[in-house]
Order: sequence, then structure tokens, then C-alpha cells
Amino acid sequence: MEILDFRWDIIWNYRDYFIRGIWVTLALTLCGFFGGFIFGVFLGLGKNSKRKWLYWPCKLYIDLFRGTPLLVQIFIIHLAVIPSIFGHSLGFMVSGIAALILNCAAYVAEIIRAGIQSIDKGQMEAARSLGLNQFQAMRKVILPQAFRRMIPPLGNEFITLLKDSSLVTVIAANDILYAAKVVSGTYFRFWEPYLAAAALYLILTFIVSKIVSFIEKRFSIEYNPRKNKNDEGRVVA
Amino acid sequence: MVKRNHVFLLMLLMAFAFVLAACGAGDEKSSGNSDSGESGLKDKKILVGTEATFAPFEYMDDKGNIVGIDKDIIDAIFNELGMDYEMRHVGWEAVFQQVQNGELDMGASGITITNERKETFDFTEPYFEATQVIVVTEDSPIESAKDLEGKKVSVQINSTGHQAAKKLLGETNPNILAYENLPLAIQEVINGTAQAAIGDNAVVYEYLKNNPNAKLKVIEDDAFEKEYYGLMVKKGNKELLDLLNEGLQKIKENGKLAEITGQELE
Repeated sequence: MEILDFRWDIIWNYRDYFIRGIWVTLALTLCGFFGGFIFGVFLGLGKNSKRKWLYWPCKLYIDLFRGTPLLVQIFIIHLAVIPSIFGHSLGFMVSGIAALILNCAAYVAEIIRAGIQSIDKGQMEAARSLGLNQFQAMRKVILPQAFRRMIPPLGNEFITLLKDSSLVTVIAANDILYAAKVVSGTYFRFWEPYLAAAALYLILTFIVSKIVSFIEKRFSIEYNPRKNKNDEGRVVA
Repeated sequence: MVKRNHVFLLMLLMAFAFVLAACGAGDEKSSGNSDSGESGLKDKKILVGTEATFAPFEYMDDKGNIVGIDKDIIDAIFNELGMDYEMRHVGWEAVFQQVQNGELDMGASGITITNERKETFDFTEPYFEATQVIVVTEDSPIESAKDLEGKKVSVQINSTGHQAAKKLLGETNPNILAYENLPLAIQEVINGTAQAAIGDNAVVYEYLKNNPNAKLKVIEDDAFEKEYYGLMVKKGNKELLDLLNEGLQKIKENGKLAEITGQELE
């Protein structure tokens, strides 16, 4: 069987490529996600707004970026938008991160909106009747509760983004997939480099899902910091 | 709970192993079939793989047909041989992979004959002589291949231009930017992502012909070795290789090849 005749030394020879690939993938994903998160929060709140002039632009943006493939967005941003704004390209990193931020924001916005809407109306009514204004009620009552429900889908979005960052390889971002493509083209072998790439992505997403489930536990209703004996400083009267 | 997880993991692993084993078995079967069917090669429709974004060698016309120099050559060869063929656009890397696993009978995609490729594939006699050229913007200070050091250089991924760039700048140099196709690599010079592109002369000149306002210039450098394009078959597929060489010889002799490529090949 041909497939058992693996030559892992070719991966080892190109380890620099793969290691650089991991950094590039991580940088793209982290910048894309945190940028997209901040932008997405505003979009989500905007789409939740009753004010028409806030609601419509946000809805339009989300529909636009959720409704077109990320690959197409990457090409448009890298080959058309950035060169026409700056007169020249700013490299794959800037284009890649920009595309991931803009795309991720649309999805995060929907997660935020769904999270807020999932909180019972009575919560807002109760908060308002206690004398909090709309902004205070949102910040002190609704958002803390909604945030807990947003953690799993946000983690999901992060993992999706990590995998989608491989699309930036089309504008020659030297990420993990790029390394695999170069190695496969050099040796005309396809099992080893692509399996290695898959394994690297799997390890990264596995770590991320562990972190997400830790955060989920930390913010769960059952978790009570006062019960934690190693953490006495936190006890509040 | 923990135990059940382990059982599940084991099952998953076994399922994966089965799938892998099935793949291996499938491969053996299909290669067996092609062995037994080789005697009827002349009646069979030969599948030719290509990557049709490589004008003027192969590209798509407005109706989606593959056209270009390679297509004309293949057409002439198969006419001489009285055989039937079908040309498919499968993508550059897929050409190599699918010829290797037998999905395609041969590749014709402006493929340069290299020693590395000869380890896995067999090539016909050359049908075209090519050189690598450097493309830079008109106001660029780059004058020769030597000046490329420390500059960002764009190429088509895993093409001979990519190999030339690796030879010049070092195997794993991050300054080499590799794209799916050469037009994209040249576009990146215009956009300023890269300071220079390296690619096959014929394609570069075709690009400049189609984009006369691109403000690019071409640098030819003797540092690049001459290259020859050949038709590619799976290693050991001697029967098809001999037929192709026979056809190629005929169109060389009757002047058809020179007519198509506009180049006398000695």
C-alpha cells in the first residue's frame, strides 16, 4: 500500500516553513477575532437598536459580509480596495487581517444580537422599574447575563475563523496551508504535507476549544468565587 | 463516563483506519484496471489535464473552451495519431496529482521538464523552449537577477519561476510570495506587494500585450537556465509516451509545431 510509505523527513526538512505558518495563522486569527469582536459588538448593539438610522446600516453590513464568500472578500480587499485607497498594497498581513476582521464582525454581531434578545423581557422591565435608565439596565443587568450565553457561539466563531484563515493563503500569506502547498509541490507528495497541516490546525483548534470551555466554566452560574478557598482575597462581605 | 469516552474514541479511530484502508485498496484496484486496459489505448479517450490560466499556452475563451498553444499542439498530435482526447481544466497542482494517481492519462500545461519531476513522471521530447524573465515596474531600480536579494519576489506557486526564486533567494526565504497563477503574481508587482515577479517569458509577454498600460518592464537575465516544456505522463506509462513522441516527431517534421509556437526548436 502506497499510503503507508510515508516520508515524514520532508516535513522535518521544511519545519521552518511550518513553524512560521503556525505564527502567521495565529496572528491572523487573533487579530481578526479581537478586531472583529470589538467591531461586532457595536454592530450587534446597532442591529438591536430601535433607531432606524442605526439599525439599517448595521443590517446592511451584516447581510453583505455574511452573504458573500470570505475568499471573494479577500480578493476584493487585497487586489482592489487597499490598492485604490493607499495607491499600493500593504502586504498580505494587512489585507488578510482586514478581511478577517470585517468578516468576523458580521458573525459576532449576530451572536451579540441573539444573546441580548435571548434575555427575558422581564429583566429589562424589572431593571427599569428599579430606577435604572436604559443604558444602565443594559450594562448592569442584560449584558452580563447575555454574555454568558454568547461564550459558546463566540468560541465557535473563533474556531471557524482559525480554519478560515487558511483562505488567506491565496494572497500568498505564508500560513500553515501555504507551507503544505509548497512542500507538496516540491516533492509531489500529497499525504504528508496536507496531513501535517491538518494535524497542526487540529492541535490549534483543540487548544482553543479547551480555553473556551474553561472560560465557559468560569462564567457559569454554578461557579462561585466565594467558595474557592485558594482565593480568599476575593471574598466580599 | 470516562470509559465510555474511550470506547467512542477507539471506534472513531477504527472507522478512520477502515476508511484509510479502503482508500488504499481502491487505489490498487484502479491501477490494476488500467494495466489490463492498456492494450486498447488507441481506442480509448485520453484524458489531458491542464491549468487553463496560463495564456498563451492554455486559457479559457469566452465560451469556456480551453484554447491556446498547448491545446493546438495536443490537437495536432492526436490528429496525427488518429486518437481521441479530452482536455480538462483541473488546476495546476491537481494536474500532477491526478496524473500520478491515474485519474488523468497525461498533463499538458506548459510543464517544464525538470529532474525533480522526472523522478515521478515521464516526459516526451521537448516541444517548446522557455526562459524565466523578471517583471518589475518601469521606475524600479532592479536591473538584474542579482538585485532581487532582499526584495519581495512574487511567483506562481511551485512553478519553475518559484524554483528559480528559491535558488536565488534561498529555499525558505519569506520574501518569496507564491500565488495560484502568474497573472496574480504580476498584479502584485503593480500593487506594490512585491517588487518583482519571476515567470515564463511567453506568459509574461502575453500579459504585457494584453495590459499595455501596466507600466511594467521585463528584464532578461542569463542567470536563468533555458527550460523545455514537455508533455507529461505517469512514470512507466511507456505506451502512451511512445505514441506521444511519435506524434510530436511527426508535427515537428511537417512544420506544424513551429507554425503553432512560432519557434524553431532544434
